[in-house]
Amino acid sequence: MDMSWDSWGMLACLCTVLWHLPAVPALNRTGDPGPGPSIQKTYDLTRYLEHQLRSLAGTYLNYLGPPFNEPDFNPPRLGADTLPRATVNLEVWRSLNDKLRLTQNYEAYSHLLCYLRGLNRQAATAELRRSLAHFCTSLQGLLGSIAGVMATLGYPLPQPLPGTEPTWTPGPAHSDFLQKMDDFWLLKELQTWLWRSAKDFNRLKKKMQPPAAAVTLHLEAHGF
Amino acid sequence: MDIYLCSKRPSWLVDNRRMRTTSDFQWLLSAFVLLYLMNHVNSQRKETPYDLKCTTNNLQTWDCSWKAPSEAGHGTLSEFCIDNRSRSCYQLARTNIEIPALSRGDHEITIRSLQDAGSSTSKFILNEKNISLIPDTPEILNLSADFSTSTLHVKWNDKGSVYPRHSNVIWEIKILRKKSMELVKLVTHNTTLNGKDAVHHWSWVSDLPLECATHYVGIRCYVDNLLFSGHKEWSDWSPVKNVSWTPASQPKVFPQDKVILVGSDITFCCVSQEKVLSAQIGSTYCPLIHLDGENVAIKIRNISVSDSSGTNVVFMIEDNVCGTVVFAGYPPDTPQKLNCETHDLKEIICSWNPGRPTGLVGPRNTSYTLFEGFSGKYVRFKRVEVSTNESYHQLLFQMVPNQEIYNFTLYARNPLGRSQSTILVNITEKVYPHTPTSFKVKDINSTAVILSWHLPGSFAKINLLCQIEIKKINSVQELRNVTIKGVENSSYRIAVGKLNPYTVYTFRIRCSTETFWKWSKWSNKKQHLTTEAIPSKGPDTWREWSSDGKNLIIYWKIWAFFSEAYKGPEDFMNPISLALHDLQTEQAVGMGKGILLTWHHDPNMTCDYVIKWCNSSRSEPCLMDWRKVPSNSTEALIQSDQFRPGVRYNFFLYGCRNQGYQLLRSIIGYIEELAPIVAPNFTVEDTSADSILVKWEDIPVEELRGFLRGYLFYFEKGERDTSKMRDLESGRSDIKVKNITDISQKTLRIADLQGKTSYHLVLRAYTDGGMGPEKSMFVVTKENSVGLIIAILIPVAVAVIVGVVTSILCYRKREWIKETFYPDIPNPENCKALQFQKSVCEGSGALKTLEMNPCTPNNVEVLETRSTFPKIEDTEIISPVAECPEDSSDAEPENHVVVSYCPPIIEEEIPNPAGDEAGGTSQVIYIDVQSMYQPQAKPEEEHEKDPGGGAGYKPQMHLPINATVEDIAAEDDLDKTAGYRPQANVNTWNLVSPDSPRSTDSNSEIVSFGSPCSINSRQFLIPPKDEDSPQSNGGGWSFTNFFQNKPND
Repeated sequence: MDMSWDSWGMLACLCTVLWHLPAVPALNRTGDPGPGPSIQKTYDLTRYLEHQLRSLAGTYLNYLGPPFNEPDFNPPRLGADTLPRATVNLEVWRSLNDKLRLTQNYEAYSHLLCYLRGLNRQAATAELRRSLAHFCTSLQGLLGSIAGVMATLGYPLPQPLPGTEPTWTPGPAHSDFLQKMDDFWLLKELQTWLWRSAKDFNRLKKKMQPPAAAVTLHLEAHGF
Repeated sequence: MDIYLCSKRPSWLVDNRRMRTTSDFQWLLSAFVLLYLMNHVNSQRKETPYDLKCTTNNLQTWDCSWKAPSEAGHGTLSEFCIDNRSRSCYQLARTNIEIPALSRGDHEITIRSLQDAGSSTSKFILNEKNISLIPDTPEILNLSADFSTSTLHVKWNDKGSVYPRHSNVIWEIKILRKKSMELVKLVTHNTTLNGKDAVHHWSWVSDLPLECATHYVGIRCYVDNLLFSGHKEWSDWSPVKNVSWTPASQPKVFPQDKVILVGSDITFCCVSQEKVLSAQIGSTYCPLIHLDGENVAIKIRNISVSDSSGTNVVFMIEDNVCGTVVFAGYPPDTPQKLNCETHDLKEIICSWNPGRPTGLVGPRNTSYTLFEGFSGKYVRFKRVEVSTNESYHQLLFQMVPNQEIYNFTLYARNPLGRSQSTILVNITEKVYPHTPTSFKVKDINSTAVILSWHLPGSFAKINLLCQIEIKKINSVQELRNVTIKGVENSSYRIAVGKLNPYTVYTFRIRCSTETFWKWSKWSNKKQHLTTEAIPSKGPDTWREWSSDGKNLIIYWKIWAFFSEAYKGPEDFMNPISLALHDLQTEQAVGMGKGILLTWHHDPNMTCDYVIKWCNSSRSEPCLMDWRKVPSNSTEALIQSDQFRPGVRYNFFLYGCRNQGYQLLRSIIGYIEELAPIVAPNFTVEDTSADSILVKWEDIPVEELRGFLRGYLFYFEKGERDTSKMRDLESGRSDIKVKNITDISQKTLRIADLQGKTSYHLVLRAYTDGGMGPEKSMFVVTKENSVGLIIAILIPVAVAVIVGVVTSILCYRKREWIKETFYPDIPNPENCKALQFQKSVCEGSGALKTLEMNPCTPNNVEVLETRSTFPKIEDTEIISPVAECPEDSSDAEPENHVVVSYCPPIIEEEIPNPAGDEAGGTSQVIYIDVQSMYQPQAKPEEEHEKDPGGGAGYKPQMHLPINATVEDIAAEDDLDKTAGYRPQANVNTWNLVSPDSPRSTDSNSEIVSFGSPCSINSRQFLIPPKDEDSPQSNGGGWSFTNFFQNKPND
């Protein structure tokens, strides 16, 4: 996992987000802007979270210690079965409809957020807890953003089935090593999900773009 | 076993003895016979029971067995008889018997084999010493394993009930590992038998986790009975029992989540069905130790302290990974500086320093429990996760009602151990009150206020000690301690008196308890102005008659805020009765800032004394101040800020009697005497030939500045311009001094002087403060007239007499004189032959024949040229140094060597005004050398423009060493022109950069500059710069390093 952190990239990303947040609805048109701006906003947020995660993962993997912070460490996915998998067959991904695509994103981040909060509870150092809490807040924002897109498109939010509420249980059966593996996989899945979401929202964005839009927004994500 | 075998049949030894009689030549036959006989004997022995052996396993019964005769078939009866006092025999169908243990000593045993063909009998001597004690083979009752702690528990029965006597038992236990049963441990374990069966336990902790390999355990014993005299032997090993772990399908590492002491050794193993490729702890790879199957282990020695998330131990398996986390830390240190105190007698705060960090965090962190021994209550330390001060922990313990003595024990515990500290406190002696709040000040009266404050706490049973800081502006702060009884409602009030009215005070307060432990922090400051008060007494008054006696002048003083000043008679007294009797004015000199007046006690003076003083130079009425002192005083130190040194003051001491004041003493005095500031005015009243009468005037009091102690009069011979009386104090012998100590004397006659001589007179006054200035005068004494007349008359008379006598003699001898001194001589001017020369040289009649030289011309013409041409001597004085004064003055002393180079230096300095801050002459030259080849201003650009051109050889034609300003200004182009070029790379000059010693050490430059080489070849004298110069590649190095050191993320 490449953990190099480009602060200029982050700055550019932040600026992009800040630029688009106020500008998009106001500039586009006078009437109902449609789902486009909120999809764009969500897309930007995923790219921002990607960068934020790089910083967090670097810190957290160092906390886990070697070999977790070694670049070529690529363990099998042990005991992390409950984590939502981001990897999907390309054909399956292409065949997803908008509602299913958004629902999967929403569900995945709901679960990941819950696990991430569990991670925060067990972190030993205060600095790590602060970083995690900060990221959780951002992720919560992404979740809200996805919910907003779904609401704009008229899709209902998925209701969690009773009993399937993801919980973080440190349980005695879970050894410290397996817990570290879970943490490692949680961060890895988060990153994959953010990549996938960027693709998802990019696809949605193109799909939702009006053919004769007065203003075409062009976003170049420098430094990603 | 020593068993004596006795047989009724002849011994084979007898037969053997017979055989020795055979002859030697029949050796082979004899050997054959011997072999036969041996066989015969053996066949003979087997005809009777033999080889009786007895053992015991319980000391109560003996198991004896023997071998039956060879003829005896199965089921042959035997008779076993013990021949002791009561012969006992046993009929047996077997060849062993269990008999009760026999007493000590020899016992004859007869075994008769009852066969069909007859009977054969053997006799044996049996003794306890011949008996072997072989305990029964022990049996492991239970072998269990605690996999979490890698501990084996072995349980067995000692079967002590079978032994009649108390015995020691040694157990030997062996631990075998792996399927190949490698012995890993052999230990002995001692117990005693006490007649009953007992189950024994023994535990063993394995260094290798028990899950990693099968472990086997076996046991045997040795009974050490001291009363048994026979042979003791180990029992047989028990059948081994084993423990093993059923592996799961997934590989697993053991031990899991282990907490161990830093520095200890630990073995990890991976139980796997697949081949393990590598193992690492942290980022360190470890060699694999192969166990059964694919299981492997690694051994870690001297483990170091773990990071906060523990140290990872990871085994890499093909397509898989398994691992564990180990936490290496320390047991809790003994809590240090445990201290318990209370702020409010409601809650006890115990604090401590945890000491050495354990290296364990999270759930393995040290837990603390504070236990109170008398009440049995305890509290647990809850770690505040966020921003905990790790070096300081504290716990709150609610106080138990009516309990003052507390016995606290603080228990610290973590997975590696525990520790504790205790403290016994009387909590009423450990009160550190809160900071007083709501601090207020209220007036009671002009000199007292009430302070009130709030101090939370249950202090009803104790007294509080509070400290009040009272600060008055421009005054020292005052601290008052007060003890007040503690109250339940936490509100306190206290009155503070002895204040001055109408004064601004600043109050603050802090509290402790009567049994002092710690002061609380100071409360906030409160500023308060006390109320005004009526004057506590009337004004201090004094009155005097005016000088004409017609008016009475009344003086009074305004009290400032004096409430405790001296209170004398306050009534307005009768006018002073100046009972002036003969009062002597006394003198007094002060000390320091005041003057001490003393007087004798006068019992008549009943009221008080008044001392008034004034500046004596002031006009009447003279009054500066007065002071009243009690009537029992005999002295007073008068001090006033108005007193000045060198000023005369009059002091008057009045005594009060019968409501009237009487002047007792009049004193003039100085606080400090100074020297007079003027000299006395003196005049010469009379002058004679041998004396001078001098008269002087008094010095005014203001200018005297002290009590006049006398005059010093100096005199010496001397004219006005040549007087040497400069240093009067040196005591020169030619200066005469007269010290006039009688200050009433105003004249002085100086006698024994020389007539008509100029004298230098000096007069100065002195006080105890020193000598005043001098005043001098020159006086010439008159001539002595009688002597003068005599001196004139006597020579005149002598001259007259001599003249008269001479005239008489000359007259008488006038002819002789004429002949002798004045003979007649002819006049040469009357010679006509010499008349012609007169016209030639007129006016020089004495030179007539000696005029051989022409007339000498005048040399006035030479003087006219001197104004335009300097003298030759002047020209020689002018040196090059003088022509370049700036350079020689600015340069260092060593730089004079280059003085002769001044003219070019001056020229070179002009184009480099800001070339270098080192202003030495040689520095300028050096810069010039540099600037010739490499302009310093833009070295990098130069390098880019002409990367290799600087190294080329250039002709020496246009060397600008003496270049003009214009030449140097155009030096940027020098590299391109045909001037001299250094043969080395110009860029090497860059190396001489600000951090190189060259730019500061001008001496070295002189050396290079002053070398015999020409200026053109000067550059070769400068050593080539090292390639590691920090400037040359330092930037690149650090930049590279920056990336190299950057964390690889």
